[in-house]
Amino acid sequence: MLTAGTGVFIVAAEPLRVVATTGMVGDLAARVAGDRAEVEYLMGPGVDPHLYKATASDVRKLQRADVIFYNGLFLEGKMQSILERMGQGGRAVAAVTSGIEHDRLLDPGDGSGHPDPHLWFDPALWAECIPVVVETLSTAAPESADYFAEQGKRAAADLTALHAWAQATIAVLPPQKRVLVTSHDAYGYFGEAYGFKVVGLQGISTVSEAALADMARLVDFIKANEVKAIFVESSVPHATIERIAADAGVEIGGELFSDAMGAPGQMENGYDLGTYDGMVRHNVTMIVEALQ
Amino acid sequence: MVDPWTVDLSLYGWIALMGFLVATACGLVGNYLILRRMALMGDAVSHSVLPGLVIAFLFSSSRGTGAMFLGALAAGIAATVLIEAIHRKTRVKQDAAMGIAFSTLFAIGVLLVSLYSEHVDLDADCVLYGEIAFVPLEPMVTWLGVTLGPVSLVRMAAVLLVVVGLIFAFYKELLVASFDEALARATGINPTWLHYGLMSVLSVVIVSAFESVGAILVIAMLILPGATASLMTDRLGVMHAIAVGHAAVSAWLGVSLGVWLDCSIGAAMVVAGAAIFTLVWAGAVLRRWQRRMGHDVEPVPATSVPR
Repeated sequence: MLTAGTGVFIVAAEPLRVVATTGMVGDLAARVAGDRAEVEYLMGPGVDPHLYKATASDVRKLQRADVIFYNGLFLEGKMQSILERMGQGGRAVAAVTSGIEHDRLLDPGDGSGHPDPHLWFDPALWAECIPVVVETLSTAAPESADYFAEQGKRAAADLTALHAWAQATIAVLPPQKRVLVTSHDAYGYFGEAYGFKVVGLQGISTVSEAALADMARLVDFIKANEVKAIFVESSVPHATIERIAADAGVEIGGELFSDAMGAPGQMENGYDLGTYDGMVRHNVTMIVEALQ
Repeated sequence: MVDPWTVDLSLYGWIALMGFLVATACGLVGNYLILRRMALMGDAVSHSVLPGLVIAFLFSSSRGTGAMFLGALAAGIAATVLIEAIHRKTRVKQDAAMGIAFSTLFAIGVLLVSLYSEHVDLDADCVLYGEIAFVPLEPMVTWLGVTLGPVSLVRMAAVLLVVVGLIFAFYKELLVASFDEALARATGINPTWLHYGLMSVLSVVIVSAFESVGAILVIAMLILPGATASLMTDRLGVMHAIAVGHAAVSAWLGVSLGVWLDCSIGAAMVVAGAAIFTLVWAGAVLRRWQRRMGHDVEPVPATSVPR
């Protein structure tokens, strides 16, 4: 809008409507968008992205969004193809992981070319998703491009600081104690970044339940490596890990967040589990305390 | 404020129309399933598709819609053929044959996942089942300059047209074979081939509906419209008409309910469809009760009631 006479342009720009799939992607978008956008995300606390069911209002949010961000690498399953087609149809839709070099991604061992999508547990790598967010937002609102670039730099600095904090916190664990046993393969990037050997019981897919032989092998592994504690995840059923903990005679170190963040405002040790920052700090603190 | 039938009609109108097309296609085929006591075929196919998905993935090394659709379709047809073969060649009845076929196929799928693709997220929820709420977000199909609708809606409409065409073409054969196989055979109809034909059409309907709206809606709509119709009539033609009416009302009610409660629209349609079934059932009970009351005006001594 233009107010004549004063010689000042007042841009009464509506904030951009940004919709993200997971809370982690929403957090990244909100860091960059600052106060120039309203960011909402679809998959709430405890929701396994593979099992997410859309509600009636989710589709309305997606239709009205100015910009849509998703994780990509098939984390959202079949929803990804809908989002891709919306992007091809001219909507501002971006997979935040689309800018990451392919050799930085973890291939889950079988060379199938279907990389592990759980990038966010390495904050330094997660920070490399920022340029895509900056670029997409700037295309949607070119007048704020400088602002988004500035916010992007700040976000990258914050994530780098978080990474440094995690490194410092984990430094108290000697390398032989860095063994992370959990329900499914969500912590590959975490292990890579902080020198953990990561053993997931279930593989990435949640369709097949753990085989008996896998369970027995895992119990042997835990005993042989004198692992002090193993972990359950917030979005995966606990029963099998509890059974293995009993069989191997180790304790459950606690509940880690994997595919979804906690509820907003759920405080623990002074950090909010409903934020990306709080989730990472919770996981790192819990792992270090239990394995020490 | 969300108002599905005015401001947001361009969104929820497509969803309701899609619900109607899916429920009609499923309901029409479902009538024959109910007559053949195979109403849980949808559930059976939903489990049977897993090995098809894994094999399609191993061959194409892709989780794209095309490969997954073909794999699921092949597995669905294999399941229906297997069920029929077990039922015909042994003394095992249809329900048990369905149980054997789908649990075995699902187990083979789980085996294949653990052997070959444990590190790839590959399950029907993730790679096959669509979501009815996302239908309006799909690209629109235009034909001769006219916007027909979202891709999967147009595909579902085509499937429905084929189903309706086949029912018209083979109505007499289906009618006879569904109620009396011996009579069908005597009049020169081959009920076995007719059945395999029906089951192939069924697989196409189920898998394409899974692909665009997800499992629960399809499984329910194979049963609810036909079951509701069977409470009201014995005549096949009338059953079809009632099934179409049931589909329309449950699609409309389902979208309204889903928007009102802000929940999954597919699940809301199923609840709406079940509510219609319950209403019709209550109506039938009421009518029977009234009739009995009418008869009781002149009480008959209990001893004289013929057994």
